Amino acid sequence: MAFEDVWKKISWLYYQYILVTALYMLEPWERAIFNSILISVAGMAVYTGYVFMPQHIMAILQYFEMVQ
Amino acid sequence: MSIIISSCSRLPVLHIICELLVRAHVPSPEWAHSLYAVQHTACNGSSGLGLYSRPFIESFEETPMLVAVLTYMGYGILTIFGYLRDFLRDWKIERCHVAREREEQRDFVPLYQDFENFYTRNLYMRIRDSWNRPICSVPGAKVDLVERVSPDYNWTFDYTGKVVEGVINMGSYNYLGFAENTGYCADASAEVTMKYGVGVASTRQEMGNLDRHEEMEELVAKFLGVESAMAFGMGFATNSMNIPALTGKGCLILSDELNHASLVLGARLSGSTIRVFKHNNMQSLEKMLRDAIVHGQPRTHRPWKKILILVEGIYSMEGSIVRLPEVIALKKRYRAYLYLDEAHSIGALGPGGRGVVDYFGLDPRDVDVMMGTFTKSFGAAGGYIGGRKELLEYLRSHSHSAVYAASMSPPVVEQIIASMKCIMGEDGTTLGRDRVQQLAENTLYFRRRLTEMGFIIYGNSDSPVVPMMLYMPAKIGAFGREMLKRNIGVVVVGFPATPIIESRARFCISAAHTKDMLDTALSVISEVGDLLQVKYSRHERLIYDQIQD
Repeated sequence: MAFEDVWKKISWLYYQYILVTALYMLEPWERAIFNSILISVAGMAVYTGYVFMPQHIMAILQYFEMVQ
Repeated sequence: MSIIISSCSRLPVLHIICELLVRAHVPSPEWAHSLYAVQHTACNGSSGLGLYSRPFIESFEETPMLVAVLTYMGYGILTIFGYLRDFLRDWKIERCHVAREREEQRDFVPLYQDFENFYTRNLYMRIRDSWNRPICSVPGAKVDLVERVSPDYNWTFDYTGKVVEGVINMGSYNYLGFAENTGYCADASAEVTMKYGVGVASTRQEMGNLDRHEEMEELVAKFLGVESAMAFGMGFATNSMNIPALTGKGCLILSDELNHASLVLGARLSGSTIRVFKHNNMQSLEKMLRDAIVHGQPRTHRPWKKILILVEGIYSMEGSIVRLPEVIALKKRYRAYLYLDEAHSIGALGPGGRGVVDYFGLDPRDVDVMMGTFTKSFGAAGGYIGGRKELLEYLRSHSHSAVYAASMSPPVVEQIIASMKCIMGEDGTTLGRDRVQQLAENTLYFRRRLTEMGFIIYGNSDSPVVPMMLYMPAKIGAFGREMLKRNIGVVVVGFPATPIIESRARFCISAAHTKDMLDTALSVISEVGDLLQVKYSRHERLIYDQIQD
């Protein structure tokens, strides 16, 4: 039962995303292209953040002279 | 004691002060609630206070910044995909459904390549099923639509053979409910068809002047309160063919920003100089009049032969009503002529249904040329011009429409006569007066409920044309389709009829709508509004259901 509600909520959110970005008006293959580009760019950003976060945090802490 | 605000409701300073007061939880003064709904009683410095006998409330709430940005983003994404599709069509990877040049003419100057066509091919076509829907019954309060599906994304349509019945019609300009196939008007038209036939086969000047035409024109003159009137077969042609007869080179036309295409075409055809003043803005109009009189014609500085002000009674895309008392005061002061196009306001405004002049309680002899159409409130087709006898005698011989266009068909003329007699009360019943009152009540109720729900509604609170803002391009198509799924037919409008980010859904209230129909429509609009998230208004929202309980 809870899964039904969650699924409905996610579907509604996807519908809002489709309306706001005007993907509602595009054909399915165009939506597939746009979504895959968006997901790959977002995925790359997340991966880069994950790989470089420790180095960035160390650099910030060193700048504030909390750690040598 | 309320503070009177001028109608320039977009002053950013007032917005900032109000936001700060609201955030600081200071009880805001009463005028802050009407920040977006402007109460106009005095404006322009000059004698605004003495000219209006009733409050003039109109509001044009500003577009929320986030919504504007997202709308531009949506159009940007659609443009990119439009270029992609055009590229695929050009390289023959995809089949092209649009008109293109022939092979032999490939190196000629292209015929089909500007931005308007880009927009049509790539944006309009995708949501085209919201427009040009074929109907198969009389477009009264409810209408039957022919169901259609499209296998190739709106390039072609197939009819399934079924009919969607009883769709509540919120799109027809049926203000007084005269679009009906039963009743007194329809019977009278049928009788006249039996007697005169349907075609007239001539122009007014040759053999096409029936006695019914003469009777209709006398009736129209009496209805409007002018000396004489003349009717033409097509409302658009009334404007575009008569303005060239009234003005010419050496005359000045001051036309409102948002005038209809027929007025713009007529003004351009006349060859006069055209200057555009800001929509319904009396300071802009006065400044232009003063400049015109002081400086005269552009190079020679001779005085203008005549100055004609072109305004409309109700502007159908904005739902705003013209500030007629001020326009007449300006016209009298600066000795200009006034051409009032009452296409949407005749029959729909005023206690007697006699239009915007009646609504403000003014004298019809102050307006030099009163033009209107029979298409909207009278359930017929055609346009009229009313004014002084000399003007009409001149137009009868000099108007292009009178000389070259075929005259009006007898059943249409009879429909006009019957409906006008009904509105005036001359057929012995109170049907006309009841309908005018019903329309006024329906309008107030509908607008109030929509504003309470939280939609952004433009225009004057008395106008039966109700534009509701949608802004985003996908929501235009989604709104039209979702409303049709729930059995309500609406008209949605986008570019180029409106500015590119201000697309809207336009409801036209009718006296034929009962309160039940309006309530059904309102609940469906609220449901679809929540689904699409178009309740953009930033007023305080009253929860109507809680107040009801």
